[in-house]
Amino acid sequence: MTDVRTLLAAVLGLLLGLVCLLAPEAVVRTQTAGRRPTGRDGDYGTDAVPDRWRRLVQVIGVGCLLLGTYFGYAALA
Amino acid sequence: MRNVGLKARMAVVGSILFAFYAVAAVVVMGVFDWPLALVVLGSVAFVGVQYKVGKWMALRSVGAEDLPEDRYPEIHRRVESLSRDMGIDKPRLMIASMGVPNAFAVGRKGAGTVVVSEELLRRLAPDEVEGVLAHELAHIRNRDVVMMVLGQGVASIVAIVAQWVVLLTGDNDIADFFLAIVVGQLTQMLVMLFVFAISRYREYVADGDAAREMGSGEPLARALEKISRSAEGHEVDDQVNALCIFGDGTGLARLFATHPPVEKRIERLRR
Repeated sequence: MTDVRTLLAAVLGLLLGLVCLLAPEAVVRTQTAGRRPTGRDGDYGTDAVPDRWRRLVQVIGVGCLLLGTYFGYAALA
Repeated sequence: MRNVGLKARMAVVGSILFAFYAVAAVVVMGVFDWPLALVVLGSVAFVGVQYKVGKWMALRSVGAEDLPEDRYPEIHRRVESLSRDMGIDKPRLMIASMGVPNAFAVGRKGAGTVVVSEELLRRLAPDEVEGVLAHELAHIRNRDVVMMVLGQGVASIVAIVAQWVVLLTGDNDIADFFLAIVVGQLTQMLVMLFVFAISRYREYVADGDAAREMGSGEPLARALEKISRSAEGHEVDDQVNALCIFGDGTGLARLFATHPPVEKRIERLRR
């Protein structure tokens, strides 16, 4: 029988992985807003996200995609 | 009555955030058997630590130093005058070398700090610097920094509670741990959507306040224009940006932006 929680872990993991990969600045801002001054990075008037943080989130996104795929396979196999 | 639009929006977003927080608090009271006073006390301590650590880290991370009054007497004099007009105490003024023209405010009314970068002072004309400073002072007067800390505090608390709910209702296998982390992150993003929406609006309000205090929005508009024009081309890493199909300025990233597009701000300032 399919384990619903494992399947949920797979679906949500894939979703978060895609968000991390395609819109890393959304994840970075979610974590940094209110903890660092807004507009602290980049030029004045923008809320730029440093490139190294984007890359880190994208690496985490790849990890989420891999784990999501694994749990999806485990839940449906 | 000042900023009626902001107050109305804050009432809506505040109610939504309170609803999220109330659900999280009820779950904590039910699951951990905590009394309401302890939940509230814990939340206040959590947000308080975030505020204090955040302020300290922000100043430390850029190596900010006090803006010497003997070298920049005009800036001190203008900030003193603007602060008086805005009805706030003059904030501490600091300077830092950030590599780019920038300025930001930390702290609250009565204990605020405004940091400007050396690059900003070099690139902008005195009236443009004044426009930038007036915008930052408006952030302090409107308690925008505190609002962001509070919003992040609520989002973090709700996310932590969501994680624990997943963990406590599961079998503690590896899939449950992964699910808890993912649910926590997605929950935090959901709550922060509302915080970001109000943050973008607060930028327009700070622009409007700065323009009103200076008698014109033109100096701040020129400052934004000058900086954004010189920024074109040096900021974005093409390799990274190529992967961001929902990159800055469009779609999902736009919903999670703290600032509205610079072009729109310039347009509004010149209206």
